[in-house]
Amino acid sequence: MSPELQQVGREEFVLNMGPHHPATHGVLRFVLHTDGEIMRRAVPEVGYLHRGLEKLAEAHTYAAYVPFTDRINYLESMFCNQVWSMAVERLLGLQVPRRAEYLRVIACELNRIANHCIALGSIAMDVGAYTPFVYLLREREAINDLLEALCGNRLTYHYVRIGGVAHDVDEGWQGKVRAYLDHLEPILDELHSLVGGNEILVRRLGGVAVICASDAVGWGLVGPNLRASGVDWDLRRDRPYSVYPELSFEVPVGRGEQGQVGDCYDRWTVRVAEMRQSVRLLRQALERLPAGDILAKVPRSIKPPAGEVYQPVEGARGELGLYLVSDGSPKPSRAKWRSSSFAALSIVEHLSRGLMIADLVALIASLDPIAPEVDR
Amino acid sequence: MGALASYLRAIGRTVLSVGDGLAVTFSYLLRAPVTLQYPDRMRVPVIELLPERSRGMLEVDLDLCTGCAACDRACPIDCIALEVVKHAERGRLIQRFDIDLGKCMFCGLCTEACPTGAIRHSHEFEGGTGDVRALVVPFVDAPRQPAKAKQEPPPAPKPLGSILRARMPGPWDRPRPPARPEGGEHAG
Repeated sequence: MSPELQQVGREEFVLNMGPHHPATHGVLRFVLHTDGEIMRRAVPEVGYLHRGLEKLAEAHTYAAYVPFTDRINYLESMFCNQVWSMAVERLLGLQVPRRAEYLRVIACELNRIANHCIALGSIAMDVGAYTPFVYLLREREAINDLLEALCGNRLTYHYVRIGGVAHDVDEGWQGKVRAYLDHLEPILDELHSLVGGNEILVRRLGGVAVICASDAVGWGLVGPNLRASGVDWDLRRDRPYSVYPELSFEVPVGRGEQGQVGDCYDRWTVRVAEMRQSVRLLRQALERLPAGDILAKVPRSIKPPAGEVYQPVEGARGELGLYLVSDGSPKPSRAKWRSSSFAALSIVEHLSRGLMIADLVALIASLDPIAPEVDR
Repeated sequence: MGALASYLRAIGRTVLSVGDGLAVTFSYLLRAPVTLQYPDRMRVPVIELLPERSRGMLEVDLDLCTGCAACDRACPIDCIALEVVKHAERGRLIQRFDIDLGKCMFCGLCTEACPTGAIRHSHEFEGGTGDVRALVVPFVDAPRQPAKAKQEPPPAPKPLGSILRARMPGPWDRPRPPARPEGGEHAG
């Protein structure tokens, strides 16, 4: 046998997955170093969707940057709006009216359900079940309609503003949300029989790409990905902000129902459980919605005193943080976003060793990264 | 023997759980469909289904515009081009008021800044065009005097979208494909 032939099958095969690949959730690229079906490592390549949103903040006034925050993550715009507003409010020392805080909670929890609909749908789709994605998209569509009636747009909400929220709600809208929640709860049970309990899904996700608690903390995973690994950490409860301390909810954590704690299936179940908790939060918030103003007295030109804040909120993907520096001028001096998708992607290379290519798809889907949020 | 038994049990579970899923799927045969077949088989045009706050393409009512340029300053991405000149005899004149709808990100900051409600979001959204330059909509034909901030009596409000439709060739002018017969085979 010639020496060339002896080498066949020994070298590493480098395969590009993405940037345009249906399973990479946007314009993401993975460079796979494979040995047959088994990966030696998968290196995420990011930056295809970089729009310079942090630099743009330095060129705009505080109020004019709020619509840009919608574009950081199109699936959780409400949280991006909120974190920017909260950071500026803290710099200004502004007190937000209670009605506005409740409206923020309502809008954000609706947004969280919509986001998880997409997350669960794409997990199912990436492992080969197309129908649940369409069913969940239908549920999300109803939320889009509700949020459009609330704030005028279906994705780029521009609803949470510095000092409060943009629009008030009436009884009719609240009734629609209640009717939707009544409709959603049986749908979540239906989702379990449709796909959640399906043996094929369980086999594709259970015990796959296990992230242990110390790895999850070490790589900076946040939100559902962190909780799926059994770490009981939720900013809404552990670093309380807004009116969350007044509302009762549970923080679901992964229990390893179909394999080990921290596997892909746990990331699925945690998201389903979070949707149920969001429904619970929404019911309470709608019931307690106080009367009053929806916008604090905000100065016409916002000039926060020089200083810096780090403001995190528990977004749909976990801790969404903003580090904001003000130099006393009408425009921020520096804005730095800490996005959860970036942290989620950074663990992929570590986990991919020895994984099958098909399981990498399940891993990426279950981490639920969003490319625009990674690159900003 | 144990391995075979667990293999067979897994097959059994798969068949049962797939049956569970299919029961859900088949139950949708008996429920009302939610899909709307946009655009050619809508019973009601989408524009009539939109909520009141819906932020569609911008339009400017020059009978209300005072030329204060608050919208221009509020716009984060400079999609409004507003020129107000001083004429020796006629005073201040609005010479140009163009909105680049291709740039606009529909945030609504200009409409909130406008003191008279001259600039507003219509509900129009079907702005598809073959030429990106067609998305720059001019609202001033000839230099005209700005409106007063308080007018007595206030000018009659124009129907939402009517100003834009008159100024922008849009899909509303194009011939529509003939509507397919109701109850026929599925579209596409």
